[in-house]
Amino acid sequence: MPTTNGIFYVNFAIFAVFLTLFITELMGAFLLLFWYEKAKRRVLEYVVPIWEVTGTFAVLWVVTADFAYPSMLFPVASLLAAYIVLFLIFLVARNASISFAEFIIKRRWLDEKKLYQAYAVSTLLLGIVVVIMLSAIVSGAGVDLTALTFSFTGWVTDPGSIPYLLGVLILGVGLAPVFYDISELRRWTLPLTTLGVVIEAVALDLYASSFLTWVFLVPAGLTVLPAAAYQHPGLAKAVTNKVLLGFVGTVVLFSQSYLVYPTAFHGGITVDSVTTTGPMVGAYLVLSAAGVVIVGALMGFYLYVAYRSRSPPAAGTPGPA
Amino acid sequence: MGISMVDFDRFLFAFTIGSHILLVSVSIALALLLSVFEFLSARTSDRYYAAFARRLIRPFVVSFGVGTASGIVMAVELVNLFPKFMTLVSETGVIGVFYVEVFAFFAETIFLVVYVYFGRSFTRRYARWWLTVPIVIGTLLSAVLITMVNAWMNTPNGFDIGAFMATGAVTGVNPWAPFLTTSTGYEVFQVTVGVPLAGIMLIGGYFALRHLRARDPDERTLFRKGLRVTVALALILVVLTILAGILEIEGLYTYQPLKYAAIELNPYPGTGLSENLFGWLSGMSVVGALQIPGLQGALGHGAYLPGLSQYPSSEWPPLIIHDLFDAMVLGGVLIGLFLLVFAALWVTHRRPFDKRSLAYGFAFFGVLTELVMELGWATDEIGRQPWIIYQVMPVASAANYSSALLVPGILIIAFYFLLVPLTFYFMVRVFNGRPLDLDLKGPPAGHDANY
Repeated sequence: MPTTNGIFYVNFAIFAVFLTLFITELMGAFLLLFWYEKAKRRVLEYVVPIWEVTGTFAVLWVVTADFAYPSMLFPVASLLAAYIVLFLIFLVARNASISFAEFIIKRRWLDEKKLYQAYAVSTLLLGIVVVIMLSAIVSGAGVDLTALTFSFTGWVTDPGSIPYLLGVLILGVGLAPVFYDISELRRWTLPLTTLGVVIEAVALDLYASSFLTWVFLVPAGLTVLPAAAYQHPGLAKAVTNKVLLGFVGTVVLFSQSYLVYPTAFHGGITVDSVTTTGPMVGAYLVLSAAGVVIVGALMGFYLYVAYRSRSPPAAGTPGPA
Repeated sequence: MGISMVDFDRFLFAFTIGSHILLVSVSIALALLLSVFEFLSARTSDRYYAAFARRLIRPFVVSFGVGTASGIVMAVELVNLFPKFMTLVSETGVIGVFYVEVFAFFAETIFLVVYVYFGRSFTRRYARWWLTVPIVIGTLLSAVLITMVNAWMNTPNGFDIGAFMATGAVTGVNPWAPFLTTSTGYEVFQVTVGVPLAGIMLIGGYFALRHLRARDPDERTLFRKGLRVTVALALILVVLTILAGILEIEGLYTYQPLKYAAIELNPYPGTGLSENLFGWLSGMSVVGALQIPGLQGALGHGAYLPGLSQYPSSEWPPLIIHDLFDAMVLGGVLIGLFLLVFAALWVTHRRPFDKRSLAYGFAFFGVLTELVMELGWATDEIGRQPWIIYQVMPVASAANYSSALLVPGILIIAFYFLLVPLTFYFMVRVFNGRPLDLDLKGPPAGHDANY
């Protein structure tokens, strides 16, 4: 049992990091779409050097999930095939549009703004597909595990689904000015974030009353706290620290593991029963330990360089070549 | 006339991977060239090399971005199209190879991000070059590790195959064995030299055309220097690719004798066999081939070489692989000869870079090298048919028969028809994005990227 838990939690921790990074991009996407001129510098300063890293964490999560749950590959692929294809198309569109945008020189009608907004639209659509798939895995809405089919009508008519999607989008809009420190939008952050959290709580309760327990208070509090602190200019610098907010986001998402463990699809599948066994467990844990060291060192290097490059040079230090 | 879902799955995956490796070859070549130009720039302080590094990073980011997403498409397609294959992969150590590949990918990503967006804070002479080294290693390792998975598909190990064939149960798993199979070394060597060669030839062809058309002296100097580097690298890689090809074909008759027999179109086994160039099999006779007596036997060092008659015809792969293989070898020989002529003219100071015919020739052979790489990959994959895992799992057993895959599959094909040309178009556009005189002066103020 403890080994099985270890495999799940390693995989879920990677998922939490990936999702945190993705949500920060999603928040940037809102601003790029609706507040481009005023927000672009702050958003792009963060998004441009991070989108490749987000994608890499996505790959890491997919591979570790394949490793951890081999017998789930076929059911999940059958269930969500169409949504997975949509996910892939939006992912390619996201990567292509942002990488084109970064270095394009305007010619005729096509310029960086259009491409960055294409990136924002792709990211937003990607986010909606991800939320639909996640909510189905959590709640089982629209899912028929016997026939291995997923019905969008079944999902959308489940009372929890639309509030779940709406709650995520409102949370994204509410927290975006905090994460990117857009003080002009400060007054909207606390009401929208609080509203998002409340809608999420309602959605979870509508999906199943067992989903809404006292445990939810911890992530709810950690989500509203930055928006509340952002109202005080004295605290703004501290709460807009991206590393800190990223860490808090990861903790919040990791705390949601109870929604899919010990059972996913609202009791439809017991995670322990589909987790890898035998010698593969040892290999998974050894490789994951190596991964913690390698990825940890690489991310440490990345954060150090990013921090150093933003610090003003000391007096007498030669400028960059 | 309908198409079965198995054939649709086959076609869709072949189409996707065929498109993907075009991007990969250019991506690896760009990483390699970037590193070489950074090194030369640091060593000689030549502003043209520095300008090249500055220009190449832009298409590299584009190819990385699209290539990464395309790689994810393939990984997910494998699960969707061949779920039973991926289930076996995930129950054996092969998934560990994928896991390690992600670490290589991480190294590539982080160093790429640091180099592109924060590279200017590295002011020491060789520091920026050092940043490119892990990018090259990470890019190459990603290709190497995915090739290791392909090697396992050709020569599977790491579990009790007999028990699996008898009962379908996966037992006796050794999670580390798939990292080294009988064919791993051969395939990895082939890919690490052949794939960069294809990308470098394509880029070299582009440089040759640009050099030919350049009127501005700075532009001529830039592309002449670029051509020198690409020709030098291509010469080294073509020699290594020929060596890797010889080693692989020699290895093939021990670990996949049936594929060897089909590639060589040997109806019967024997020693001192003739080399059959093209042609086909009529009954058990080779027809329409140009035969070179004794050549195959000599290349096989007098070994007893396998023939198709040793296997039931139901297990034979499509014999088209014989023609694909010969076309690949013919193309490879022509590319080698072209580079040899180019090098000979260069060494004897006959200014090959200024010759119109050679510039167009380079562009032609650049495209041909990509085609040869595709032919090599097709030979390997079609040669394993009807198996997805050689003599363990037929494609028909691994495939997803759901017709629900048809529409999304057609969408993906349509999307790639748009994506690949668009990516190459944007790569060229961002390469030329900034006027050359600005690139020669130094990096732009603020950021290299638009933000």
